[in-house]
Amino acid sequence: MTSIGTGYDLSASTYSPDGRIFQVEYANKAVENSGTAIGLKVKHGVVLAVEKLVHSKLLVPEANRRIQTIDRHIGLATAGLLADGRHLSNRARDEAANYRETYNSPAPLKDVADRLGLYVQAYTLYSSVRPFGISTILGAVDQDGPALYVVEPSGVFFGYNGAAVGKGRQLAKTELEKLKLSELSMREAVLEAARIIYLVHDDAKEKDFELEISWIGPDSGNLHVHVPKDLFDEAEAKAKAALETFE
Amino acid sequence: MDHFPTNWGRPRNDAFDAYGTYPIHQRPQNGPKDAFVDGVQRTQQPIVTGTSVLAIKFKDGIMMAADTLASYGSLARFKDVQRLFPVGDNTVIGAGGDMSDFQYIQTLLDGLTIDEFTAQDGHTLGPAEIHEYLAQVMYARRSKMNPLWNALLVGGVKDGKKFLAFVDLLGTTYSASTLATGYGAHIAQPLLRKAVEGYENVLTEEQALKIIETNMKVLFYRDARSLNKYQVAIITEQGVRISESKTLDTHWSFAEGIRGYGAQTQ
Amino acid sequence: MFRNTYDSDNTVFSPQGRLHQVEYALEAVKQGSAAVGLRSKTHAVLLALKRSTGELASYQQKMFRIDDHVGIAIAGLTSDARVLSNFMRQQAMSSKMLFNRPVPVNRLVSAIADKAQVNTQEYGRRPYGVGFLVIGQDKSGPHLYEFSPSGNSYEYYAMSIGARSQSAKTYLEKHYKSFEDASLEDLVRHGLHALRETLQQDKELNENNTSIGIVGPASHFEKKPVTGESFRILENGSVRPFLDTMVAKEAADAPAAPAPAAPAAPAAPASGDEDVQMAE
Repeated sequence: MTSIGTGYDLSASTYSPDGRIFQVEYANKAVENSGTAIGLKVKHGVVLAVEKLVHSKLLVPEANRRIQTIDRHIGLATAGLLADGRHLSNRARDEAANYRETYNSPAPLKDVADRLGLYVQAYTLYSSVRPFGISTILGAVDQDGPALYVVEPSGVFFGYNGAAVGKGRQLAKTELEKLKLSELSMREAVLEAARIIYLVHDDAKEKDFELEISWIGPDSGNLHVHVPKDLFDEAEAKAKAALETFE
Repeated sequence: MDHFPTNWGRPRNDAFDAYGTYPIHQRPQNGPKDAFVDGVQRTQQPIVTGTSVLAIKFKDGIMMAADTLASYGSLARFKDVQRLFPVGDNTVIGAGGDMSDFQYIQTLLDGLTIDEFTAQDGHTLGPAEIHEYLAQVMYARRSKMNPLWNALLVGGVKDGKKFLAFVDLLGTTYSASTLATGYGAHIAQPLLRKAVEGYENVLTEEQALKIIETNMKVLFYRDARSLNKYQVAIITEQGVRISESKTLDTHWSFAEGIRGYGAQTQ
Repeated sequence: MFRNTYDSDNTVFSPQGRLHQVEYALEAVKQGSAAVGLRSKTHAVLLALKRSTGELASYQQKMFRIDDHVGIAIAGLTSDARVLSNFMRQQAMSSKMLFNRPVPVNRLVSAIADKAQVNTQEYGRRPYGVGFLVIGQDKSGPHLYEFSPSGNSYEYYAMSIGARSQSAKTYLEKHYKSFEDASLEDLVRHGLHALRETLQQDKELNENNTSIGIVGPASHFEKKPVTGESFRILENGSVRPFLDTMVAKEAADAPAAPAPAAPAAPAAPASGDEDVQMAE
């Protein structure tokens, strides 16, 4: 990035001479520094998982959530600035509620992702605001079945079968590509998600972390909720075991 | 929030926020206002209506019943309308009065339960909270001279406590171990009191069902806006059950001999 | 004029994806005197060190009551804290008015965190310059949260903020496992010990410079009647019995049973302490 420090990178409303918007690229850096978040779209449902880096042992486990619920059927996981994640999830809730108000039916995930994309994009246009320092994974089971989207700081969004954002996304993507996602059951997906998060966590560089997993699908009554304790424990135990054989 | 960036910032509304002290998403809309807003008429009467709702306390919780008729004036217009609505896991509301206002209340409460669900923090709204909320909504609307034309019963069980209360279009609230709205407040309430008061913690589900059935029958005989099909909601610590519609077994042969009932000519 | 190119306002990311203005706001919190919070199964407590500008001045206010079930301790800009605590009170009243329900503590904290986030993303504003420790009690028991200007909020077993709070944190990390089952008196004693770690040399905790905030059943040390288990702030003489339970620093590392009343410490004169400064 040769234009750093030339003054073309101080505002989202400024292009650099070669047509880049540096503030958006810097926002992506905030994402890359954060714990990994992944999403798996499988046969009947969607599973979200995050690697929650624990900055203090005084934190109450399970109390500080990074996966949010947007509507009964929609979940959201972010990587990047935590507070921005809360801002965007509040916005997503408003959008989902607004869709319900207008059409009297649960919002299809595509529409929510579309509206969030527009919202995030607006923050890349003006010098009076900064872009969102987060990448957002949205998961849902809607009218058309399971759906998974990622909204990036630039405002672009894509649909995915398997998605990974944050620090360990490269390795996570490689692992996701090995899976036959469309054939996995939801339970299998939970186990895989836990395994991948444990795999991408860099023990050497990072402090402690906490695993967080949620799901949506028939197994959860088509509600977005965190996975039940027994399944979570099983997934975590298997993930740890898999890590030992992997090494 | 205003999600059109073109509306952000200037021109700001100097009358409201001269110094731009509000965060963008709290700033008032600067766009054109509805030109007809001053000419709007308020609700003066209900249109499509439901009649009585009954509710009693029994040993395990609350039982509520309402028939499935929505009348258009004296016309029995819609005969399969559910007037009992579950809110969350612990509460049922039952509505008499204007059915479109009731549908609005349902969307309102649905939104509320989604907000509560998405918080995912273990806190849920129980019957007492929902009743308080409805009371505030009903009172606020009547104070704007634009009431939601309903009489509502709110019943539920949470943390081992039974809750049953009433709120109407004026925002009036009260609580008792037997409640009835509409015609039922006159006809069924005395019967319910006699059958239930003092036995709230004794009555079994079967006994309570029997009391409800008897009273629904009485109402069907006497209330011209009622129907012989009704549903029962049972709310216990285990959750909410709302029955399929049941049909009352009634006999009208006695009417032959009564003037005004049958086909007499004078 | 600026330390680097990317720290002049809060709508600018640095090439590393950092927000310098927000990081500087976190420094403002460290300018304030320390506050400590701890939680057990039954109680949550706050302890704070008050400063005074001189012998003729009163001591600052470090704790605010939000509602019957919630209270906060602050570090940083007091004026920002007053604005935010007013907002919290409104939220609490609104919950009572709408639902007849004491507002769940986590939602209260999230509400101010979300408010603070906006100040990190819009031009022409500055992030709040104050951090909170929030204690409260609701259906799920007693809680302790930290709120910070970055718009983040976390729930902790124990936490400290403000000047030299790292020393208090070190103490808390060493002892936090015993807090869960601790009695109120033990919890406060641990809190005082942690708070003591933040003092400058030759200073000590006394009736004048120490505030204690509590939610949960009353202690036998408390003279004033407590309604239910509601939040209350102890100051001046009311703090004395708790101060007396403190164990001298060398001995305190082996936390035995609550020590017998320590020799009455001489009430230290209110010496002119450095005050919170908004600007150089």
